[in-house]
Amino acid sequence: MVKKLIIFYCTGIDRLISFIGKSISLLMPCLALVIAYEVCSRYVFNQPTIWAYDTSLFFSAYLAALGGAYAYQKNAHINVDILYLAVSNKTKRVFNILTGVLAAFFMLILILMAREKFAEAVKFDYRKMSNWAPPTHHFWMMLIVAAVLIILQISSNMMKDIFYIFTGQDLLPEPEIDTEQEDDQ
Amino acid sequence: SAYAAEHNWRFANLYTRGTAFGDVYGSMAENIETMSGGRIKVKMMYAGEGVDTRGILGGVKSGLITMGAHFQPMNAGELPAGIVEVGLPGGTADVGELSVLFHEKGFNEVLTRAYAEQGMVYLNPYIQPPVYLLTKKPINSVEDFKGLKLRAPGAYGKFVRNLGASPVSMTWSEIYTGLATGVIDGSIGSNLIDHRDGNHAEVAKYMYRLPLAGAQVLPVVVNKKAWDKLPDDLKAIVKAATAVHARDQMTKSRLWESQAIADMEAKGMKWSPEPSEADKAAWAKAGENLWGEYAKSDKFSAELVEILKKQ
Amino acid sequence: MMGIELLTGILLLCILVSFALGAPVGFALGGIAMAVGYFTWGDGIFQIVPNTFESVLFSFILLSIPLYIYMGQLLTRSGIGDAMFNASQLVIGKLRGSLAISVIGVCSMIGAMVGIIGAGIMTSGSIALKPMLDRGYDKKLALGVIMAGGGLGILIPPSVPMIMFAASTQNSVGKMFVAALFPALLAIIFLVSYIIISCKLNPERAPLGTGAEAKMTPKEKARTLRDGFMSVFLIFAVLGSIISGIATPTESGAIGVVGAVILAFFFKRFRLGMFRMAGMETAMLVSVAMWIILGATLFSNFHLMMGVQDMIASFTQDLGLPPLGVVILMQLVMLALGFIIDEFIIVLMCAPLFTPIVVDLGFDPIWFGILMILNIEIAVQTPPYGFALFYLKGIAPPGVTMLDIYKSVTPFILLKLCVLIICMLFPELVMWLPNKVMGP
Ligand code: NA
Ligand code: NA
Repeated sequence: MVKKLIIFYCTGIDRLISFIGKSISLLMPCLALVIAYEVCSRYVFNQPTIWAYDTSLFFSAYLAALGGAYAYQKNAHINVDILYLAVSNKTKRVFNILTGVLAAFFMLILILMAREKFAEAVKFDYRKMSNWAPPTHHFWMMLIVAAVLIILQISSNMMKDIFYIFTGQDLLPEPEIDTEQEDDQ
Repeated sequence: SAYAAEHNWRFANLYTRGTAFGDVYGSMAENIETMSGGRIKVKMMYAGEGVDTRGILGGVKSGLITMGAHFQPMNAGELPAGIVEVGLPGGTADVGELSVLFHEKGFNEVLTRAYAEQGMVYLNPYIQPPVYLLTKKPINSVEDFKGLKLRAPGAYGKFVRNLGASPVSMTWSEIYTGLATGVIDGSIGSNLIDHRDGNHAEVAKYMYRLPLAGAQVLPVVVNKKAWDKLPDDLKAIVKAATAVHARDQMTKSRLWESQAIADMEAKGMKWSPEPSEADKAAWAKAGENLWGEYAKSDKFSAELVEILKKQ
Repeated sequence: MMGIELLTGILLLCILVSFALGAPVGFALGGIAMAVGYFTWGDGIFQIVPNTFESVLFSFILLSIPLYIYMGQLLTRSGIGDAMFNASQLVIGKLRGSLAISVIGVCSMIGAMVGIIGAGIMTSGSIALKPMLDRGYDKKLALGVIMAGGGLGILIPPSVPMIMFAASTQNSVGKMFVAALFPALLAIIFLVSYIIISCKLNPERAPLGTGAEAKMTPKEKARTLRDGFMSVFLIFAVLGSIISGIATPTESGAIGVVGAVILAFFFKRFRLGMFRMAGMETAMLVSVAMWIILGATLFSNFHLMMGVQDMIASFTQDLGLPPLGVVILMQLVMLALGFIIDEFIIVLMCAPLFTPIVVDLGFDPIWFGILMILNIEIAVQTPPYGFALFYLKGIAPPGVTMLDIYKSVTPFILLKLCVLIICMLFPELVMWLPNKVMGP
């Protein structure tokens, strides 16, 4: 029963974060388009936009921050694996838990600070310094979401690690590397 | 030092270590230390040393740094009144007039409230040389600005648009390459010294003779909580040190401005021809209608522009 | 309060422990800075977070990382990037190691487009790593070539660190750019010579003739040559857009992306799945790179707030060394800084501290600036900690361990060290061209 509950929690979170990670990657072509549009409108029409500069920065910020949790799930974040690869599976899981706590602590502080900044940005109507002057409050809210997602992913990983330490078995079958091939080719 | 100071302050400014302006702020920090007999210890933080230049204002607000000398256009979206404070296009160059404006006609009082609303104490403002425009081709009349792509952020962007040019957003470290390859036809610098330091005259030779605003007025601000912890005598000492600093800025920046001009002229910088009376009028007109627009950005800006118009 | 030397020691120890535990680099650096900061400063230090996140995530210069990686991914996944190397193999395939040499050529062109290390290495890796591994090239050789070639991004103009050096020491950017050309050429010659010699000595590192081009029909060969030509053409188009003033180096990445999509359509290689996968892979790489930069910037901002720059400043005073000895010591300090600090901060911090001293000793500041750029290139690639190492691991296929990466970069670091030493001992090699072109 407990195991079922844990499995439900972990798969739920993994799916949510995988969905967000894949959706957010749609910003990538948008980012390139915005900048290409700016170049074209400046060079061909001699009419630089006032919005492309800030928009492209918002797109890349969202892309980078919100993709963090999915990269965590995929074990894509870079680590120095020299000792890590040499230890037993159980020790690896202990290492994961310790480093997960450190990362979650960092994310917790990010949440606290971004919340403060968000409130400030709403209260004083903070904007970017440009002529266009778009509001910045959503950027802080996005950071809160990004950090919460990373903490959720860490919690899901931790459940799996703790389960393994106690039972010596994987909670969920190991996901295949690169499950999604270029399917519609 | 062997003993602990009563107050440990961090003071962030816009300039990198070793630059002439950086040293002026450095000597202000030293002044506070010596004048307070070591009771206040001030650690100087130069550009890039922990706080992004755009983040100086936010750092003072939150108390991460105690004291800051920021550049208001970088924080236009957080404290719009700073744009009116630094000097709207078309503003005066006369030091006496500026001094009266700030100390007697009420600018200081309004700005004190504007900064206080966000948890900062507004200290003595100081004056720096004005903003100039550097272009790749000579500007023979104001008409020549039509169609030029100029790197000019914020209020300056609106100003050059009024002249028929197109303002371009570009990050500082790409200005040189942008000018060299022709992505932009010209750029403003925060003052003439900035143009020299950025080497922009190597790739754009013509300086326009009229400044965008007469002079720039910048403040030193202190975190409110740290300020409130000071006893009255130390408050007086910090204020005295900022007054000395304001005088320093005035005398030295004049000297450095002329040195920067000499340096750039030696490397081939030229001045665009003297503008005609009609050009000067068109230039002034481009600045004028911005005042109303900036008055709308917040209540403090409105008060400041009101004072300006009464001048 | 704790002295900065002790604090630095504690921070280094924490880094080593967390790295040993296999922590994700960016999150570990951020977590360590915040935890140590809390115990030495109090919760006030947390206020450093908003400023750091805002300045990193709103940095336009860093946008070249997503854009150029995206261009690289689109070229690779549509097969156009491979075509470039297939074509080169058709032409010079008989020479052992020729593919690695083509890769150095492509990296140099990418270096002429991008201005920062991260974009150089990750773009070169996206385009050129797979073709080498597919043809059975030794993994270490392939990784090392990407690292060395991608690092040329800050040595071949345009270069953001050079612009920062020139600005903070009031020197000519143009002169820096010209002065870098000979050291860049020297580095390229060294790299190519190393590849040729190493492949001669160990033929198994670079197999011959196992590529697809061995059994191609003439029609396929013509198609390969055409595709290869078009992808090189795309790179020249991007370069041209920078040189002719259409776009800035950062923006030109977007031109490359649009160009890659158009090429893919043109050659009927555009598939929605390919397009989606390229976007997803890029997003993942960007996120990984940016979280490292976020954590590392937070870490170095904290370290700077605590006064590490004063430690460096006092370290280089009153040494009583001969002039060249001072320059060498400064190089060592910068190499050591590469241990924990990124390329921009090293320049911002060391250029204004060191350059006046060097000029007082009678050296040319431009020469010193070039040494600094060469040095940074090495520092960010030196194990155990270096941004370039992390970027390379991000782009490497699964199964490549950090130890593989450490081993693979070592010979190439030594080569670059040779370039640095030669340029240090013979300043005229660096200064001849700029003095000739722009006057002393
Ligand atoms: Na470059
Ligand atoms: Na290193």
